[in-house]
Amino acid sequence: MNLDEAIRLSEILMGWAFALQSIEHIQSYSNERLIFLPRLLLAVLLIMGFHSAWVLALLLLLGLAMLHRFQGPYNGGADRMSLLVLCCLCLTHLAGTEYWREIAFGYLAMQLTLSYFISGWVKVINPEWRSGRALLDVFQFSAYPVSESLRRWADNPRLLFGMSWAVMLFELLFPVSLLTPLSLGVALFIAASFHFANACLFGLNRFFWIWLAAYPSIGWLQSRLLSTGHL
Amino acid sequence: MLNILKLLLPAMIPAWNFFDIIAPSPRIQYAVLNGKDETHAEWHEFRPRPARVSFLRMLGRMVWNPLWNESLFLTSCAERLIEQPTQHSEDEILKRIYTALRRNADRGLDGKYLRFRLQVLHRAGERLVQERVFESRLMAMSDSTVNGGGHESR
Repeated sequence: MNLDEAIRLSEILMGWAFALQSIEHIQSYSNERLIFLPRLLLAVLLIMGFHSAWVLALLLLLGLAMLHRFQGPYNGGADRMSLLVLCCLCLTHLAGTEYWREIAFGYLAMQLTLSYFISGWVKVINPEWRSGRALLDVFQFSAYPVSESLRRWADNPRLLFGMSWAVMLFELLFPVSLLTPLSLGVALFIAASFHFANACLFGLNRFFWIWLAAYPSIGWLQSRLLSTGHL
Repeated sequence: MLNILKLLLPAMIPAWNFFDIIAPSPRIQYAVLNGKDETHAEWHEFRPRPARVSFLRMLGRMVWNPLWNESLFLTSCAERLIEQPTQHSEDEILKRIYTALRRNADRGLDGKYLRFRLQVLHRAGERLVQERVFESRLMAMSDSTVNGGGHESR
């Protein structure tokens, strides 16, 4: 995948993610509709590839308006990732040279890698995660499980111990997957499945779509590094 | 402008420390009152989660999940109120509870004032402990700052 193709694919996936987010606010409060109706329209234009540079710049302005409206992100990490992908895509259009376009898109790939590795690191240094207790707490009393029946998973500490270690090892080993195209493909499939499971169990559907939008950057970065012999 | 940049910075240089510790979890409870001085309040949990959610429903929520996402936002507001109370977070929670009640009037718009409180659940040793950490101001149900809309109609 070359740089232009990867950027375009990211734009389409981010446009889809933004459209889904925005539609959810259309029947909401009037001051939210003022932000999310134009955002929905711009997301559709982005998917169509209509004047992408201008559309991205306007989406960034709306992103800042959202930060102001909600005094921070509406949906925590998903909104932060949305802004990160958006800013990096804006910069690829603003950058005057191919070198700076690659830096901007490469930064997104680096942050995507760190999003898994650091998440794994902060868990593995916590004894409660290593014992499975932290995940048990998530199911037992956190605000995330989407139904009361899911809380019963807390009655199965062995399962949660296994799940905790599976998540931590996957997140910590994610950077190693950059070594070959096959390993990266497998890692991205597992990562997407992980986000899908989080969406089903904890209702974090926005994470699934926006993380997917960042995947083309790491695909491109790997082929760039392989072609120049850096991997 | 400086404030917006301060809010943007964590997106450009993210911490990525999801679930590093499992913090005390806030629950929002509300009460509808008839008078400002009413002392006995019947507290209800706001949007209690359902007993079960089918896999088909979970699949549907991949593309359409406004109520749950709004609830996640309210959890963020509750966490902000606990860490550093702001008028914005208190108003957001009051406004969205009011809208939900108005849309489901059969479940309790039978009063003049609305108030919410935050209880946090956390683990102390092997026990789960619940503590009250915040109680909002009274909002008159006729308060014109609530400007309609909301998700409860779906």
